[in-house]
Amino acid sequence: MSSSTAAERGTGPDPAAMAALDSHWAAAPTLRNWFATVDHKRIGRRYLVTAALFFGFAGASALAMRTQLAGPEAGVLSAREYNQLFTMHGTAMIFLFSTPMLFGFGNFLVPLMIGTRDMAFPRLNAFGYWVFLFAGLFMWASVPAGAAPNGGWFAYVPLTDERHTPGLHLDVYTLGLLFLGISTTAGAINFIVTALKLRAPGMSLNRVPIFVWAIVATAFMVLFALPVLNLDNALLFLDRRFDTRFFEPERGGNVLLWQHLFWIFGHPDVYIIVMPALGIVSAVLPVFCRRGIVGYPLVVFSIVAIAIISFGVWVHHMFATGLPQLSYGFFSAASTVITIPSGLQIFAWLATMLFGRIVLSVPFLFVVGFLVTFVIGGFTGVMFALTAFDQQTTDTYFVVAHFHYVLFGGAVFPILAGIYYWLPKITGRMFDARLGRWAFWLVFLGMNLTFFPMHVSGLLGMPRRVYTYSGGLGWDALNVLATVGAYVLAVGLLLVAIGVVHALRRGDPAPDDPWGGDSLEWATSSPPKPYNFAVIPRVRSLHPVWDPATAESTGPGADEDRILAEGRRTLFTSEFDGRPERAVEMPEETLKPLVAAVGLLVLFLGLLFAWYWIAAGSGALVAGTLATWLWPPHRAPEEAGMTT
Amino acid sequence: MSERLSPRAALVGGLLLWFAVLGGVSAWAVHALAAWSIDELACEAGHDNLAGFPLTGAIALAVLLPAAGAAAALAASVLAWRRVRPNHGDGDERSTGRAHLLAFVGLWLNTLALAMIALGGVAALVLPPCQR
Ligand code: HEM
Repeated sequence: MSSSTAAERGTGPDPAAMAALDSHWAAAPTLRNWFATVDHKRIGRRYLVTAALFFGFAGASALAMRTQLAGPEAGVLSAREYNQLFTMHGTAMIFLFSTPMLFGFGNFLVPLMIGTRDMAFPRLNAFGYWVFLFAGLFMWASVPAGAAPNGGWFAYVPLTDERHTPGLHLDVYTLGLLFLGISTTAGAINFIVTALKLRAPGMSLNRVPIFVWAIVATAFMVLFALPVLNLDNALLFLDRRFDTRFFEPERGGNVLLWQHLFWIFGHPDVYIIVMPALGIVSAVLPVFCRRGIVGYPLVVFSIVAIAIISFGVWVHHMFATGLPQLSYGFFSAASTVITIPSGLQIFAWLATMLFGRIVLSVPFLFVVGFLVTFVIGGFTGVMFALTAFDQQTTDTYFVVAHFHYVLFGGAVFPILAGIYYWLPKITGRMFDARLGRWAFWLVFLGMNLTFFPMHVSGLLGMPRRVYTYSGGLGWDALNVLATVGAYVLAVGLLLVAIGVVHALRRGDPAPDDPWGGDSLEWATSSPPKPYNFAVIPRVRSLHPVWDPATAESTGPGADEDRILAEGRRTLFTSEFDGRPERAVEMPEETLKPLVAAVGLLVLFLGLLFAWYWIAAGSGALVAGTLATWLWPPHRAPEEAGMTT
Repeated sequence: MSERLSPRAALVGGLLLWFAVLGGVSAWAVHALAAWSIDELACEAGHDNLAGFPLTGAIALAVLLPAAGAAAALAASVLAWRRVRPNHGDGDERSTGRAHLLAFVGLWLNTLALAMIALGGVAALVLPPCQR
């Protein structure tokens, strides 16, 4: 495929301006700066690596569970261990892997794709990462301590109240998710403001890359959905620790309240996970079909529609709770209709493939893997929209098969496609394509071998969340297949990791645009300079890199107000039309985000172990750090970005 | 389109465009919340009326009023979509390209919203409100 370098496209202002940009943006490689960095690319990379680490922990838990389930009455894990492992596996895959991994891509890519120099709030971004890291460690540390959450990833009461599940298990769950929620909320606010205020001049809403639309829609969903989960967890913590009675019917509470609140968050969360992944597909697929995506406006519509309608379908997770049939009817209607926008994206990709010229490279293979598995998961999902079918299969392995097809298909395959696609940009190195193909086939076969037989064992009545089962029920062979599949899958994923390390150590240097991509991240060097773009581009079409007029705008003769070399500055533009407004000063490296995050960690540990004075003290530390962080600096109005 | 508009006309136009984009889904949100909570709460309390008003009638209102709102938003989005042409070439200084995109998104959002409200209406027609 065609490739080009920034030099060929004539990028670059005069050397003096480049030197000034370097001096304002590049940080010396010191230990302090490692902890104090606010560069969205470094933070994005850290999100990716940390989320991959948590994926590794959750994957190892899954392998242990599959080993236990390989045959009837096995003794690899006890029931107590199994309960903790499946709960931590599910909770970590959802909260500590999928969303943070996709936020990692967003962090690295959104500023590059919209042609700016950092996220809108770089310090908040660093804070979000540290909180994510600490919240993940807070939760995972409970596994070796034997105190991990054990009530399933959706922690239904009354099972999870103090009477039925004593100990710290569920306190780790509620506090861990509340802690993590701070990071996710901060990230979401940052994405929205970045995408609305920092787009390159000329990038009106109709020229925004689909991936950015997807991230912004996801961020809005997070802002509306997450407070509900936070409330739910806070109420459960209060019930367990301070004997309040929100979920206890005998004392005036309501058990179904937990489920309602959980799924008001939980169903949008399925899309919170999948939507940015679909955005990755919309970024990768067209490039390897050598054309723009077919039906851009329809895909944008589909993203907006899913983001809104997904808030009106939650009761379909509760079709077995005995609510009035008519109530189910309202939610069934929305659950059925939401398939239309989801299906639209699939057809847009198929049409793009049909009208394009396909190049079967490694990222594209993973996109195909996504299409196949996600469509199967979507198909079984539509089956659940029929209340009668749902009531027969709820809580069986059919559900486990369904959601792994959706989540593995809808998140892991696109994430792997994204890793291979952007690895050259992120690391400046090319990967070994042969190793990549091997990895793809092993992951694809392993995934299907693991999860397809679960449809059948589910239909044969095997319940989910059982640590063992009796032989002779017709489930034995299906379970052996699933376990063999899990090991094949693990080898495939290991090859992906080996491929990344190999690229870093031995990979050929990557050109700036190895795939002939159309969005702005390909218009800068691989890896990008600390300031991303020497000249902020002026966007003139939906495919800026394929469009000579946009490329020219970064060449010699670019206006001074898009170079902004006098300070650490970038450009504010208007929300809808991307009209230039003013230059703004961006913050430098600081340790405050790390200190605030450490303070929060101590606060949550204090709450967990009932050391309330320590919790109060660290709360004060966090408040003090935030106060100095937000204290207005003494600067001239020009410096503060009040005038251009 | 928008070059020589007075600030008032621009404000009204902007508000109309947002109604065209989000009116339908807002109406659907009102429908889903109102119809569901009327049904759920009244049945839970063992009532077949709402302050003397028959339950079926209250649910019908929670279907018909939002449906009217969604239909109005649909009409507004069709008008906006037909009036605002996408700009070709260098459209940096004009908003028509993005207004056209927004109207298009609104048009389909309103259609889906209307469909969901209508399907909810069908459910209300065929199912007795408190059957479990
Ligand atoms: C890497 C390969 C994976 C394997 C081998 C695997 C295997 C398993 C197993 C054995 C269970 C327990 C089933 C039960 O006892 O009911 C499970 C549950 C679950 N998995 Fe996975 N899984 C994998 C990947 C994923 C991914 C990528 C996600 C999400 C992004 C995910 C989300 C879940 C969830 C939410 C549960 C339910 C936990 C619960 O019942 O509370 N898994 N998985």
